[in-house]
Amino acid sequence: MEKEKAHFWHTVNGRMLSTAWKRPGFKLGLFVFVFLLLMALILPALSDVSATKISVRERFLPPVLMGNANTAHLFGTDQLGRDLLLRSLVGLQNALLIGVLAVVGMFIFGAVIGIVSGYRGGLVDTILMRITDAQMSIPVVILAITILGVARPTPFSVIVVLVLAGWPTYARVARSAALSESKKEYVRAAKIIGASNLRIMARHIAPNILPPIAFIGVLDVARMMIFEAIFGFIGIGIQPPTPTFGNILADGTKYLINAWWITVIPGLFLFAALLSLNSIGNALEKARNDVFGGHS
Amino acid sequence: MADQPVLSVCNLDVTAHLPSGDAPVLSDVSFDLATGEVLGVIGESGAGMTVLSRAIVNWLPNPLAVTKGEILFYGKNMSTMSQEEARVLRGKEIAYIGSDPTTALDPTVPIGQHLVSKLMAVSPELSKAQARQRILDLFDAVRIPSPKARFNEFPFQFSGGMMQRVMIVDALSADPTLLIADNITQPLDVTIAKQIVRLLNGLRDDFDTSIIFVSASLPMACDISQRLLVLQKGRVLEQATPQTLIDTPQTNYSRRLIEKVPRIWEVDHIPSASESQRPILSVRNAAKTYHTKDHDKVFGTQAVKAVRDVSFDILEGENFGIVGESGCGKSTLSRLLSWIEAPDRGDIFFDGKSISAMSAKEIKGLRCQFQLILQDPYTSLPAHMTITQIIGEPLIIHRLASGKALRERVAEVMQEVGLALDTGDKLPFQLSASQRQRVNIARAMVMKPRLLILDETLSSLDQLEQARLLELFDKLQAEHKFTYIFISHDLALVRRACARIGVMYLGRMVEIAENQELFFEPRHPYSRAMLSAMPTIEKNRYDAKTHLLDGEPPSPVDIPSGCSFRTRCPNAVEACKTLDPTLRTNGTTLVECHLYEVSVQETQSA
Repeated sequence: MEKEKAHFWHTVNGRMLSTAWKRPGFKLGLFVFVFLLLMALILPALSDVSATKISVRERFLPPVLMGNANTAHLFGTDQLGRDLLLRSLVGLQNALLIGVLAVVGMFIFGAVIGIVSGYRGGLVDTILMRITDAQMSIPVVILAITILGVARPTPFSVIVVLVLAGWPTYARVARSAALSESKKEYVRAAKIIGASNLRIMARHIAPNILPPIAFIGVLDVARMMIFEAIFGFIGIGIQPPTPTFGNILADGTKYLINAWWITVIPGLFLFAALLSLNSIGNALEKARNDVFGGHS
Repeated sequence: MADQPVLSVCNLDVTAHLPSGDAPVLSDVSFDLATGEVLGVIGESGAGMTVLSRAIVNWLPNPLAVTKGEILFYGKNMSTMSQEEARVLRGKEIAYIGSDPTTALDPTVPIGQHLVSKLMAVSPELSKAQARQRILDLFDAVRIPSPKARFNEFPFQFSGGMMQRVMIVDALSADPTLLIADNITQPLDVTIAKQIVRLLNGLRDDFDTSIIFVSASLPMACDISQRLLVLQKGRVLEQATPQTLIDTPQTNYSRRLIEKVPRIWEVDHIPSASESQRPILSVRNAAKTYHTKDHDKVFGTQAVKAVRDVSFDILEGENFGIVGESGCGKSTLSRLLSWIEAPDRGDIFFDGKSISAMSAKEIKGLRCQFQLILQDPYTSLPAHMTITQIIGEPLIIHRLASGKALRERVAEVMQEVGLALDTGDKLPFQLSASQRQRVNIARAMVMKPRLLILDETLSSLDQLEQARLLELFDKLQAEHKFTYIFISHDLALVRRACARIGVMYLGRMVEIAENQELFFEPRHPYSRAMLSAMPTIEKNRYDAKTHLLDGEPPSPVDIPSGCSFRTRCPNAVEACKTLDPTLRTNGTTLVECHLYEVSVQETQSA
């Protein structure tokens, strides 16, 4: 097992991770992200305060630091007296769930299309890539309004919309990598020993090209979280009473002058989550450039 | 002026200033070079040959620096000269040609423009028209065909050999008194390399240029030089004329260098012919044409005729060699033989059964019977799999073994090819080139095939490793009754390894002969040309003066009518222009040449 580990750090992926780890941005981002994640997972489950329970007496309570004496609501409450900390954390849960699943979905879908297209070439490639082009030409928000307007906006349908909008980028990147990879000698060698096309794509090409793309996917999680917030904001995301960043912010804008914390508190959580994800993704991308730049 | 040496190097030391401390690269190198003399500098890679040639032109990259001694050019010390003076001297008096001509020029500027601007920079008195004329004359002198047309072409349109000529023109345009040729023949095919050497010789006679010819190839250096300098680890071991060096080498190192040169004619052992007369693989009129985009037309493709109408048999248990130079269709043929691609016309029979008539499933089964081993040990293994996984993969694909049986079979094969068992857990990047090549062999062998096709498998390895692997092949053949096909550009290798050899030229098999026959009585003029171009320290049986060809092979896009070799054949006759020769046999040898047909008819009628 010890040996396996030694191998891993010598592979391209291992070198990328270890290079990324050396960047302070990566460590800081990872720390903040893990902290937020743990809070989002643990706190709503443990706390006896509800994120959705309306309490008219406790509405518009400012955060504790603003001189509020009610320590049950550290970050204050909204216009209906719901705890902002918990609402933000549940919102973060939803945003992360949707962001991560959407990226995983578009990654898998795009990678399969891209590898098949790049490896098979010819007519298959042309057809798949024209479909990709067509998909790429539709703006995300228009697509979202169309689909979510017709179907009920559930977490699942939001993910479907995001996957539909996002896969072409992955397909394009995977295709170009698979195209150059499929001309390499080891693919020829695999054909010679009689490996089937499926085996060559899954066992030989995919492990070589996907990890670097997956690293970049981290940046996309942040992007998808923003889209999720946008959908919530314009009212086509997950519907109230379930809190999402989008609908909390949308409600809060009405009380911006008197109770600015309703928008600022969830905004800060979203900001911290995005910043940490972006600095992780950024460090990974830089590391990727370092590792590949050193080669050619 | 005449008795003063052009260049004298005295006690030259070059040191690399590394963070870990100073490391000597050259120590105490001294020699003189007279006008019109050719000095060969030989040694193994890493001996400091390139550093020496760079030091002479005062062009040492960091962290290298001259620490002691001097380089005198007509009595002027170059190592103390200012950068500016050295720059002028380098452009005008001393010319340097490197080993990689293909990347030496800006790909977006036409060749002629490069050369003209360089010439006008060193000789500002010339007008543009004069400079152009001078370059065109030099194109003629180095035998670049249709110089006017090629003048406006871009670097990517030139082959390696042509590009090297361009670099020579570039070097000669300023009329230098000293030419430094740093490994210039290394990337070229033997016949082209020989042409370049012949060309340099001619230029020295015409222009009285002194040449320092740096080469890793001893025979090549012997061929051109009047004096040889043997370098080892930055020290001069020996200075002698080529003949004395070969006859009476003074040091063990030189003796080793000489021993390492492969012999062509003085070989004690060649593989014996197969006892069986049963063909295991028969190729019948196989042809393959690729269609690529024609860049001269908006729509339209051009047909690259890579393999044209090739037929031959490979007998069970024999070693068959296929030789030819780059672009002759060897690699395409190897793809056809291993059925990664199907021929457009013709067929290949394995064990008497037509492969093209087989179903995909039958072909998959057949893959256990014949295997191709690829050339490049670095890229032909999947980087993310361990050695055991790589060698075991064919067994999984063909469901031959699994679990414990698989691990045992892999271990057994690894032992057979001489891989230590603890390499099994390693990844390919942790192995040396020859170990990787053994992994390749093991992966092919694990299915117990009957036929192994080796596509330049040994060419990336050094002499010693080649010999070891050839021994391994012999051993495996004795145990498993393998049949081998060696596909190679290296005549010395097939001479040692093969019983029968086929010579390819422009997609055709022009001669198929037994080893001894081919090397002692080649029938086809191209076989003779290849032999005459072989760099060897033995006396070459075929004099380059009479047998070596001019020019380069025609493009496989438009192949000459009639006999495809006629455009370069020294003895072409009228009939060659119209009639395409067919393979003729005299029992053992098959030759594709009209002249040979005539002689066969004569002997038959006589």
